[in-house]
Amino acid sequence: MTKKPVFMPPSQELRRKAVNFKKGFKLKLEPEEIKKLEAVVEKATDQFTVEVADKLRGLRVALNDVAHSQIGADQAMQAIRTISLEIKGMGGMFKYPLLTAFAKSLNDFTRDMGVPTPIQLDIIAAQIDALYVVMGNRIQGSGSKIEMQLLSALEEAARKYRH
Amino acid sequence: MSEDMADHERIDFSKISFLVVEPNRLMGQMVRDVLQMLDVQYIDRARDFETAVNVLRMGRTDIMITEWALSQEKLGRNGMDIVHWVRNDGGSPNRMMPIVMMTANSEEEYVCRARDCGVSEFVAKPYTVNGFYTRLASAIARPRQFVRIGEYFGPDRRRRRLDWAGPERRIMADAI
Repeated sequence: MTKKPVFMPPSQELRRKAVNFKKGFKLKLEPEEIKKLEAVVEKATDQFTVEVADKLRGLRVALNDVAHSQIGADQAMQAIRTISLEIKGMGGMFKYPLLTAFAKSLNDFTRDMGVPTPIQLDIIAAQIDALYVVMGNRIQGSGSKIEMQLLSALEEAARKYRH
Repeated sequence: MSEDMADHERIDFSKISFLVVEPNRLMGQMVRDVLQMLDVQYIDRARDFETAVNVLRMGRTDIMITEWALSQEKLGRNGMDIVHWVRNDGGSPNRMMPIVMMTANSEEEYVCRARDCGVSEFVAKPYTVNGFYTRLASAIARPRQFVRIGEYFGPDRRRRRLDWAGPERRIMADAI
């Protein structure tokens, strides 16, 4: 096993292939180019709302599975973790940072959780409800004081009952 | 290269082949659409470890963009396993391939784990397209030297170059 670090020069293969002085995009994009790329994301906003609605249904189904069947609870918890992570990654891209914040809270809470206790289950249910509220009311941005307080209260509950 | 020349450098994305490993349909489509806006012509897509490795074995991929968490059905292997395969497996066609980890696992512990596995650039979801572009451009136009130390093989994890007036501390290899 190598003990001393051995350095190798960077591969220049891609530079040789694609970097030039005539054609393509500069290393730092122009504002108009950024706008064009951002338009690609904006164009997908409708798909995003459909996708999130589907994910939220998936969360409710998984929650129901955890609550009512001991068999498959681990798999259902994994589904909650996976879906919450996906929503966390999507929300902020489509001007829903509050959705990302609630999804992160749910994902953090369930990350290392086995089969949840009744109180943990209540917190998960409340976190999923909060995600529904954000999407149901199309709350873009960081939300109002009420939503921020709700987020803060859920995070506090999660901290208290994580283990 | 002088700063002035660097300001005029351009990246012709039409020459570069991508593999996008993303289990979420919409997020995968977003990456594909953004890459196509950049004039990328060749984009392979995968949702799980097995498919990604099969594509990589073909040897046509220049850059891989991968999510950490892969398809739910394939829970055994994740994006980090693909990174590890590229960097360390004897069957890997290009162990120095630029790899962009684009993931909602964005907390510091994940960034560190990704770095220690050999990821070239890290993009935290949700991301801005400009942030994504910047990482991509950096991976292509500013490749980092590689290092082998202990069990690690991957890009040099130190970002800053510090002047060192003391005795020689590092060994530069001629080739891998």
